[in-house]
Amino acid sequence: MANLVQDIKLIGNEILWFRQLRENGLEAFGRQGIPTAKTEAWKYTKPRNLNTDDFVIEFSLDEKNSCPKVPFDGYCICFSNGIFNPAQTKLPQGVEVLPLIEAVMFNSETRLFLGKLTDVEKYPFAALNSSYMNEGVFIRIDKNVSLKKPLVLINHTTSGNKNLFFNLRNLIVLEEGAEAEFVEYYTYSGDVKSRYFANVVNEVFIGRNSRLNHYKLQNEAFKSDHIALTTVQVKRDGEYNSFCLQKGADIGRNETRVILKEENARTNVDAAYIMNGWATLDTTTDVEHLAPYTYSGQLVKGVVGGDAKGVFQGKIHIAPHAVKTEGRQLHKALLLTDTAEIDCKPELEIFADDVKCSHGAASGELDEEQLFYMQSRGIGREEAKQMLIDAYLDDVVNHIANEKIKSWFKENIQAK
Amino acid sequence: MKIPLLEIEDLYARVGDKEIIKGFNLTINEGEVHAVMGPNGAGKSTLSYVLTGKPGYEIISGSVKFKGKDLLAMSPEERAREGVFLIMQYPVEIPGVPTSTFLKHSVNAVRKHHHLPELDTMEFIKLLREEGKKLGIDNEMLKRPVNVGFSGGEKKRMETFQMSILKPDFAILDEADSGLDIDALKVVADGVNALRNEKRSMLVITHYQRLLNYIVPDFVHVFADGHIVKSGDKNLALELEEKGYAEFVREK
Repeated sequence: MANLVQDIKLIGNEILWFRQLRENGLEAFGRQGIPTAKTEAWKYTKPRNLNTDDFVIEFSLDEKNSCPKVPFDGYCICFSNGIFNPAQTKLPQGVEVLPLIEAVMFNSETRLFLGKLTDVEKYPFAALNSSYMNEGVFIRIDKNVSLKKPLVLINHTTSGNKNLFFNLRNLIVLEEGAEAEFVEYYTYSGDVKSRYFANVVNEVFIGRNSRLNHYKLQNEAFKSDHIALTTVQVKRDGEYNSFCLQKGADIGRNETRVILKEENARTNVDAAYIMNGWATLDTTTDVEHLAPYTYSGQLVKGVVGGDAKGVFQGKIHIAPHAVKTEGRQLHKALLLTDTAEIDCKPELEIFADDVKCSHGAASGELDEEQLFYMQSRGIGREEAKQMLIDAYLDDVVNHIANEKIKSWFKENIQAK
Repeated sequence: MKIPLLEIEDLYARVGDKEIIKGFNLTINEGEVHAVMGPNGAGKSTLSYVLTGKPGYEIISGSVKFKGKDLLAMSPEERAREGVFLIMQYPVEIPGVPTSTFLKHSVNAVRKHHHLPELDTMEFIKLLREEGKKLGIDNEMLKRPVNVGFSGGEKKRMETFQMSILKPDFAILDEADSGLDIDALKVVADGVNALRNEKRSMLVITHYQRLLNYIVPDFVHVFADGHIVKSGDKNLALELEEKGYAEFVREK
């Protein structure tokens, strides 16, 4: 894998600082390698051994690949097989959306943000992503601009039988008082068994008194891998809310690290996962309260069937001076079969007094009494199960403020 | 001519290792209301669950025919779609599922089985309004999750309401009066009586005679030790009220 990186003459290497970021990533990945069962942060989720799989990196856009639609109005940013597809909607004043490589070359601000939040020494896949940094998008929302429609990043994979490996790197900057919604949607078409590996890294800067609602739907092909890390920094009175639904991929990991950097910064990191077969879907969070009066809430709910495995690793860290902070965390999972598995690791590191902190974890099964009651009213057993699953995930989905996006997620929960 | 709707023949059933229904025989013809009365622990509720196919209730031998078809071979939902309805003693709460959504799935599942088109939202709302008025089921109750936070009376009213919109051919009322005060009991009984006709049959399972003052049965059976030990008309219920079940329990 490492050899492959060196072989590629990536665009932008002539820009020294950018080249340095890539090289740092490559070195950091070289030191860490692919995590094994002995790597604490990866003890429940075993990533595929990239060395033994012949992954292919592509650089040219398949022009025929059209962007899938979402059932709500938004500013669409399309990627096909991880490559920017320039057909896009007109943007309103005060929003800038650039392909990452253009931002690196033509927007001097990029240097101030890119790579500043991602800790390549701690996250091997983010290090790998950094070494390949090429595709992705830079989004900047100006001071006090409030977007009326969501920005929608869609990656559509049509790799067929090619084992594609692609790295997406997105940088989102909200200036003071800005407000936006950002949707990430990963989907595929064609062969459901196509194998590919999507490695996504996001860096999000939430300025003072600004707010981002971030939604993600991971609906990759079921033999593919999807590993993503989002690192967010929230400044004073800023707010970052996210909801991620994972329902595709063979190995899916959505990792979110939120740094509440200044007073009264707030975050809600919610997630849901629903799976069957042999998949492993992992939700990992790390919320760092670095300032007083910060708030975090995490609600993660999963439904696991077949021989699948759900993983939740949730961390709340409260720094010594971060008094009057509040951190809440709850993970609940529904196991549909005897062979389904849940691994849950809540972690609280509290170094300050005078804080409110709680965490909880629970797992259960579908209630036979409820199923029978529904059946005795003529509702088929499978339909009844689906209704109970929808009901189980209802509270976390209901946290979504945007009604149209909420219905989109509800439809995706119902569709197998 | 009398047309049999439900025919139970020499039925034996158990829960776990415990045999509870032992040689039960009963034929219910179209339009008839039968009451099964018995002491606590006689297996009355087991009978209702055996007839509706609840998991964990195992048939040892015997047969049950419904409209001439083998009822025991059907899944619980098939039985419901064929027209068997159970008013449960303890209706189940389903958090997260709004009552109206639940009812819509139920009504349309039954309609689909009978090759009727599914009701659209307008038709469905109209149905709920018409039937809801009679039983005091308002829009607010329909928005709430199924049975969650309902009082005992509300739950039984909701059961009766479901019966009135599904219009089953055969209804089992399992201790329909338990937990009800006299006013709530009258509302439920009125709802049930409104559904009585020459085709629809009912099996009223009760410990007390009280309910039978409001839902007057054509036949009364005494159920003890897993089977019927005595049958008669509605006067048998009054007799039991006076003398209690001691005589029948002693018999074994």
